[in-house]
Amino acid sequence: MRVLLIEDDELIAHGILAGLRAHGLTVDGVHTAAQAEAALSAVHCDVVILDLGLPDEDGMRLLGRLRASGMALPVLILSARDAVQDRVAGLRAGADDYLLKPFDLDELVARLHALLRRAAGRSVDVIEHGPLRLDPASGEVTLHGQPVVLSRRELALLAALLQARGRILSPDQLKDSLYDFSEEIESNALSVHIHHLRRKLGADIIETVRGVGYRFSRVSA
Amino acid sequence: MTLRLRLLLMIGVSMLLLWGGVAIWMLHGLEEEMQRTLDQRLEMSAHMVAGLMSQNPAAWEGRTGKAGVSTLSMPETVKGLACQVSLRGEVIASTPGAAPGAIDQVGPGFVDREVKGEHWRSYTLDKLGLRVTTSDRLSGRSTLLRNVMVAAVVPFVVALLGSLLVLWFGVGSGLRPLERLRQVLASRTPDSLTPIENAPIARDLQPLVNTLNHLLARVSETFSRERRFTSDAAHELRTPLTAIKIHLQVARITHGQEAAVAMDYAEEGVARLQHSLSQLLTLSQVEGTVSWEDGHLAEANEVALLAMRDATPEAPERIELDSDASGAELVLPQALAVTALRNLLENALRHSPASNSVRLEVRRGPDTVCFSVCDRGPGLSDATLVLAKQRFWRRGSGRGSGLGLSIVVAIAERFGGSFELLQRPEGGLEARLILPTTGRGITSLNHFTDSSSCA
Repeated sequence: MRVLLIEDDELIAHGILAGLRAHGLTVDGVHTAAQAEAALSAVHCDVVILDLGLPDEDGMRLLGRLRASGMALPVLILSARDAVQDRVAGLRAGADDYLLKPFDLDELVARLHALLRRAAGRSVDVIEHGPLRLDPASGEVTLHGQPVVLSRRELALLAALLQARGRILSPDQLKDSLYDFSEEIESNALSVHIHHLRRKLGADIIETVRGVGYRFSRVSA
Repeated sequence: MTLRLRLLLMIGVSMLLLWGGVAIWMLHGLEEEMQRTLDQRLEMSAHMVAGLMSQNPAAWEGRTGKAGVSTLSMPETVKGLACQVSLRGEVIASTPGAAPGAIDQVGPGFVDREVKGEHWRSYTLDKLGLRVTTSDRLSGRSTLLRNVMVAAVVPFVVALLGSLLVLWFGVGSGLRPLERLRQVLASRTPDSLTPIENAPIARDLQPLVNTLNHLLARVSETFSRERRFTSDAAHELRTPLTAIKIHLQVARITHGQEAAVAMDYAEEGVARLQHSLSQLLTLSQVEGTVSWEDGHLAEANEVALLAMRDATPEAPERIELDSDASGAELVLPQALAVTALRNLLENALRHSPASNSVRLEVRRGPDTVCFSVCDRGPGLSDATLVLAKQRFWRRGSGRGSGLGLSIVVAIAERFGGSFELLQRPEGGLEARLILPTTGRGITSLNHFTDSSSCA
């Protein structure tokens, strides 16, 4: 899952970035509304975390503008304003969730997964595909009931493919899910991770669509 | 005690006392008048009998001195009134109920006497040798008097009770507008501070309602200001708290270098929280009534040096000091003067490029000292110059608590000084804090001017 964090307070931003990465999420952090718009148009991301007090524009207005321009990504607002009318205003402006500072990192991660799950139209958090079972929140993967140990990248790759539900994902889209701006990507990194996944979960689990990308095999593994 | 009961008691008791007094006075007069009237009746009856007897002397002339001759018997015409006629000590005529006895022993005129256990009031008249005595039983008199009194008092008491009843209802209905107002007030929720409107209020209660509405408006304004402040303060404290919490959680789930970095960040968050808290505390103390006297004289130059040291302990060379106010003693406690100046210096340093220095000029006026802090930072627009002095305003995502300038404003206001922010023509900002001096110390001829004082 790739998250875009829009937070102007550096200290908090550092914490959220480190915390979400430690939970296996791919996160990019931006500090202003202008940077946020640029990032949203440049890369694919799955969910947005928005702080309301941005230096160049009110977060609520940014959200309103993004929604008006057709951005459909789930948005979670972070705010220290706890008045009911603030929360209502945030949800009315198009937010999908509202989390009050100070919050628990685990709660933030759980809410992000819940947002993503709702956006994908699922009602339970666990993704099942034949004998394969993935709990995105805890990162637990089982195959035929046996636990499988996956690295952070492999997990993100598996989650991205499963979330796509059989759609073909291009290598660039997959890389967007795995790496944030700050990371250097080696040219064959994606193929290495796909190779590892196939080795751990079965050779035919990921189908290569030549010249287009990859998709999760419809045949149960 | 309810207002209604109090009014009723007050009016009722005064009515009872007044009318009771009037009644006693009236009854007293009535009794005297009755006694006089009854006495007159005795007197007139005696005169009438004597007059009748003297018209026909033949009827009684021959009867003198003959014992055994039956006396003339007169019918008892008036109940309780008795009459006796005697000639030279011998009774010649009497009414049946007349008190016998030695009439002769009584002199003419009125007299009260007791005959056979009965009290009588008699009137004796001597005329042409005849002695006429008319008498009233006192018991009859008092019965009559009692009857008259009862006839007079009963309607009076009934009228009094009636007026108390009318008073009870009258007071009740007179107080109804107040009761309606009470109900209107009682039906409000504790946090409802809107003015009282659309209630059926009597015209003479309107001033009361207007006063109440004014009070409500003032309370509501204070409330919302305090609420805004609390909300802002909570916001200020939540932000560093959030950072601390997240970094601690990150430190728990990571290892090695990552965990160490997270702990460093958490500590930075603690420092920020501490700074915000101490700024909030300072502000509330400056605005409150705490005494700041610490026994230290606030000498202008010393204040400048202490503030410079506090603002940038690591890089003192970033502040250039130019002072001609040596020896000037400020009216405020040293700690507060240093706090105000340090806040200005910190702001200037924060918003200036690290390579640039900040200039602090201290100029002495007739009875003031002017501290000018000039930076070469981006400055502020005219609109933000006003905002900057408000609580919790900060430029962009600056690191400050947003309270620094509010504290300077509060200190200046409390000690009769002034504070302003000026845009420098050559770029950057000048913060000018003018503080009054005690008037002691060395006088200087240098005055600061209204134009920008920084070189």
